[in-house]
Amino acid sequence: MWDTLIINPMVNTLLWIYGILGNFGIAIIIFTVLIRLITYPLTVQQMKGTMKMQEFNKSKEYTELQAKYKGDKQKLQQEQMKLYQEMGINPLGSCLPTLIQFPIIIGLYQAIIRALAVTPIQTLDLYGHIWPAINNAAKLIPINNIFLWMNLSQPERFYIFGIGIPVLAIVVVITTFMQSKLMTPPSQPGEQGAQMAQAMNLYMPLLMGYLALTFASGLALYFVTSNVVTIAQYAAMGKVEWSNLLPGNLLPRSLFPARRQADIVQSKPATKTASTSITKTTSTSITKTSSKNAPRPTQKRKTPVKKAKTTTTTKKGDA
Amino acid sequence: MKTSRLILLFFSFFVVSSLLSACSGGVGVATSWPGFTVDPNQQVAYLSDAQYVYAVDLSNHTQKWRYPAKGDAKVTFYAAPSLTSDGQLIVGDYNKVLHSLDPATGLETQGKQWPFTQATDRYIGSSLVKDQMIYAPNENNYLYVLDHSGNQPVNQLWPFKTQAALWAPPATDGKYLYLAAMDHNIYKLDPATGKQVWASGDLGGAMIGTPAIGPDGTLYVGTFNSQLLAVNSQDGKVIWHAPAAGWVWASPVLVGDTVYFGDLNGTMNAVGLDGTVKWSVTPDSTTTHRAIVDKALVVKDTLYFSSETGALYALDITNGNVREGWPKQIGGKLYTGPQAAGDLILVAPVGLTSSDKSSVLMVALDSSGTQQWTFIPPK
Repeated sequence: MWDTLIINPMVNTLLWIYGILGNFGIAIIIFTVLIRLITYPLTVQQMKGTMKMQEFNKSKEYTELQAKYKGDKQKLQQEQMKLYQEMGINPLGSCLPTLIQFPIIIGLYQAIIRALAVTPIQTLDLYGHIWPAINNAAKLIPINNIFLWMNLSQPERFYIFGIGIPVLAIVVVITTFMQSKLMTPPSQPGEQGAQMAQAMNLYMPLLMGYLALTFASGLALYFVTSNVVTIAQYAAMGKVEWSNLLPGNLLPRSLFPARRQADIVQSKPATKTASTSITKTTSTSITKTSSKNAPRPTQKRKTPVKKAKTTTTTKKGDA
Repeated sequence: MKTSRLILLFFSFFVVSSLLSACSGGVGVATSWPGFTVDPNQQVAYLSDAQYVYAVDLSNHTQKWRYPAKGDAKVTFYAAPSLTSDGQLIVGDYNKVLHSLDPATGLETQGKQWPFTQATDRYIGSSLVKDQMIYAPNENNYLYVLDHSGNQPVNQLWPFKTQAALWAPPATDGKYLYLAAMDHNIYKLDPATGKQVWASGDLGGAMIGTPAIGPDGTLYVGTFNSQLLAVNSQDGKVIWHAPAAGWVWASPVLVGDTVYFGDLNGTMNAVGLDGTVKWSVTPDSTTTHRAIVDKALVVKDTLYFSSETGALYALDITNGNVREGWPKQIGGKLYTGPQAAGDLILVAPVGLTSSDKSSVLMVALDSSGTQQWTFIPPK
C-alpha cells in the first residue's frame, strides 16, 4: 500500500524528471519543489489553523476560562472544547495537515534513496518500483549521482587543502534555522508554546545538520531545497517574520546569561538607579527592532518597573 | 524546561533517524547478498557474508576460521573470495580494502603489499585471478590490477577506468579481458598493458554479470535492457539479441550449444548459439519477488538455480520442465547461485534462521534435493 500510493509514483516521477534533465541533483531540486507545490494547500491550511489557535489562546474568553478553572484542569479542558465549538475552531486544524505531509516527506526521501540505488539490494529493489510505461530504466541506470562536487549517494564534503568541509550540512543548519526563525510567530511571554518553539529553533537545525552530515547528500540537497521553498511559500503568504533574523533576535535570551540576568534583575523590586539603567537598555533594544520582535520578558518578570512596562506595551503591540 | 527540551530533542532525533535509517540502509542493514567460492579440492567453501569471511569445512560443515576475529559493522564482505595459484585468498570489502588471506588460517598475508587500500570505493564484485595477476573491479569505476604481492604494475595503463561502477569481474579467453560494465559498454582489454582494444558502445543497458565466452570467441552477456546479447569478440559488434522477461543480472552459463540465463522476472531461458529461444520457464509466476540474480549451475542434464522466493529449482535442461520433487524451499531469500562441491549442491540464503534463531549461512543438499547439513557460525 505504502509503495503503491507513495513510493512508486514518487520514484517514477523522479526518474522521469531525471530522464529529461540528465542530472539527478537538479531532478531532486525540481521534484522537491513540485511536491511542495502539490502540498501547498495543506501548508496554507496548516498556517490558518495555527493562526486560529493563536487567536484563540489570546482571546478574552479563553483567558477568563483559564482564570475561572485554574485549579480544575479537567473542567478547563471540557470548557475549552465547548469554546472551540462555539468559535468554530478545529483543534486539529493545524496539526492534521502536518500529519498528512509527514508521510509525503518520508516518501520523498525514500524515493530519492531508492532511485539512487547504489547497492545491489537497492538496485534489485528499484526493479520492482519502476513503471516501464513511463520510464525506460535501461537507459537511466546507473543514475549519475554526481552533482557539482557531491556524490549524492554519499555524505558530502568539500575538500580544501585536504580538509573535508561539510558545506551542505552547514547550509542545512543555516536554512533550517532561518526557516524556523522566520516562521515562528510572536507569542505571549512565558507561554509554554513559546519556550518549546525556542527549543525547536535551536535544536532542530542541529538535528537536521547532523542528519545531513551523516546521510547521503541527496537527502541534504532535499533538506536545503525544502527549507528554501517553505520560506518562499510563507513569504508569498506574507507570514514571514523577517525581523526575527536581526542580530538581537537570532538566539534565545537563555543563551546569554548577562541578558537573562538583566531580565531577572528587572523583575525584582529595584533601586531607582538600577531600574533606570535596565529601562534604558530595554528601550534601546525595542527602538532598534521592530514592534513584533522586541525582546520578550521572561517568565520571572512579574512586576516590571513602570516605565519599562509602559514601553513594552506600547511597542510590542501584538506580542 | 530543561527536561522537556531534552525529551523533545531525543524524541525528534529518534523518530527522524529511525525513519531515515530504515529506508536508507544504515549500519547493520544488509546491502548485498553473500558470495562464496569452493576450493578446487572441494574441501572448503569460503563465504563472504556481512561482517565476516568464513572458511567452512565441507567434510564436517564446521567453521575452520573466520576473518576478522571480531567484526566491525563498518566493514562488510559480500564479494565471493578468489583463490590464487600461490595460495592466497583475495577478498574485497565495503570499506575500500582488498585483502589477501591465508586460506588455511584466515590470517592476513604478511610481508607483501597487502592489504591493498588505494581504491576509493567498495568492492562489490569478486576478483578475477589469472596468470599471476589479480583483476579487482571497484565501485569507483576502476578495474585494478595487482600481482600476487599486491603491487600495481608500473608504466602501464592500469588501472582501467570505465564510466560507471563495476560490480563484476571481467571474463578472459586466456589472451584478452572482456569487461562488461554498468556504463552499458563491454571493453576488450590487453591484460599485459591495460590498453583498450575496443569498446562496444552503448549496448542499451547496464551489465552486471560476467560475460560467458563461446568456443568461437563470441561473448554472451545479459543487460538491464532485458536482453541477452551475443557480441563479436573481434570488434564488439552485436551479432544477435534474445529477449528476456526482465532485467538480466546473472551471468549466462554456456553448456554445449545452449546459453542458459535467468532474469529478474524469475524466468529461466535457454537460447541456442544462433539466438533461437529454445525454452523459457517462469516456474513461480504467482509471486512478485521471484528474481533470479545469480548464474545457474548445470550438473549433467539438470539445471539448478536460486530464486528470490527462497526456493532452489531443478530443471530438465532439454525442455525446462521442473524436475519431479522440486523445487526445494530453502527459506529466506536465495540471491546467490548454487555451486557444486562433490556430490553436494551448496546455497547461501539470506535471512534464514534456525529454530533457535541463529542465522543459517549455508545449506547443502544432495542431487535429489535432500538437505544434508546447514552451516550456522558459532557465536
